[in-house]
Amino acid sequence: MAKTILVIDDSASLRQVVRMALTGAGYDVLEAGDGKAALALLDGRQVHMAVCDINMPVMNGIEFVKAAKQLPAYKFMPILMLTTESQDSKKEEGKAAGAKAWMVKPFSPTQLVSAVGKLCP
Amino acid sequence: MPKPISAVSSDEADVHSERAQLALCAGLLPVWGRHLSTSRAQSEGAVTEMLQAFSDIGPHINMAERQSKQINDALAQPIGGVTGLVEACEKALQPVLQDGALTISSRSAVEQVLEMVRNAVGALEQISKPFQHETQMVAEQVDRMYMGFQYQDRISQMLALIEGDITRLQEAFAGEAAQVPDLATWLARLESQYAMTEQHQDHRAIDRAVPTSSSSNNETTFF
Repeated sequence: MAKTILVIDDSASLRQVVRMALTGAGYDVLEAGDGKAALALLDGRQVHMAVCDINMPVMNGIEFVKAAKQLPAYKFMPILMLTTESQDSKKEEGKAAGAKAWMVKPFSPTQLVSAVGKLCP
Repeated sequence: MPKPISAVSSDEADVHSERAQLALCAGLLPVWGRHLSTSRAQSEGAVTEMLQAFSDIGPHINMAERQSKQINDALAQPIGGVTGLVEACEKALQPVLQDGALTISSRSAVEQVLEMVRNAVGALEQISKPFQHETQMVAEQVDRMYMGFQYQDRISQMLALIEGDITRLQEAFAGEAAQVPDLATWLARLESQYAMTEQHQDHRAIDRAVPTSSSSNNETTFF
């Protein structure tokens, strides 16, 4: 059975690029435009991993990671931050919140698939 | 002490000039804001359109790449693979060819068949290897295109920030003069909102070797 990856980004075109990369590698993809909408999708369904942007309206990526880690069913779900932010201080913030990896946009689909494969073997 | 006539007229000129500048900004800033907003929307629309068109092609390219690799792997299998077929045929027919009782015409027929197998296998390899190379090359270019599409997101973020700052400036002009922050405070607040290296560089007028540099951080950091 294909693994399900939740993709959270306020940019529709970015979500589409991520979707194409992941579905091409055999994953199923769920999409959300911000952290709050993503949390609503964590309703008990099986989500193996999340790929999350940082700067988003309503609820940003760091807030989403913190909130997701409070949900018992998704506590151990690996989260990859996919963002334009490249500052070390931001990376530390993501790590402290509970993210498992950090990738800076623009990313290569091969690189993304490889990272997802490592975090979600 | 009353001001001399010349000073009064100078003050009035200053006030008039400031009002004219404020009116200019109040008139121009919303126009700039709308242009930025439209530019963002159009660039997002254009990329979405291209991606939608591309989403029909992308999976086929991925599949072609996978299949061509599978074909090459299948051909190269030592047992049961087409490449191994020549060797297997030669091995199987060797005792027959060594048989002294074999007629000249039979020997010739066996050698002819072997030659046909060698030619067929050679032709298959000639086709499949360049096909794999081509599909691999196309897949690499597709990766580059996916990366190119992502620049729209960066542009959109930069424009959104400027759009927000323009709105804030309009609001500052519309409010009390005492509430307008000084330039240093304004710039510091603006810089605190940057996400990308090039925004910081542009803010500080730092020259970049490559104007669109943004891919220097393309490694994944695992925590």
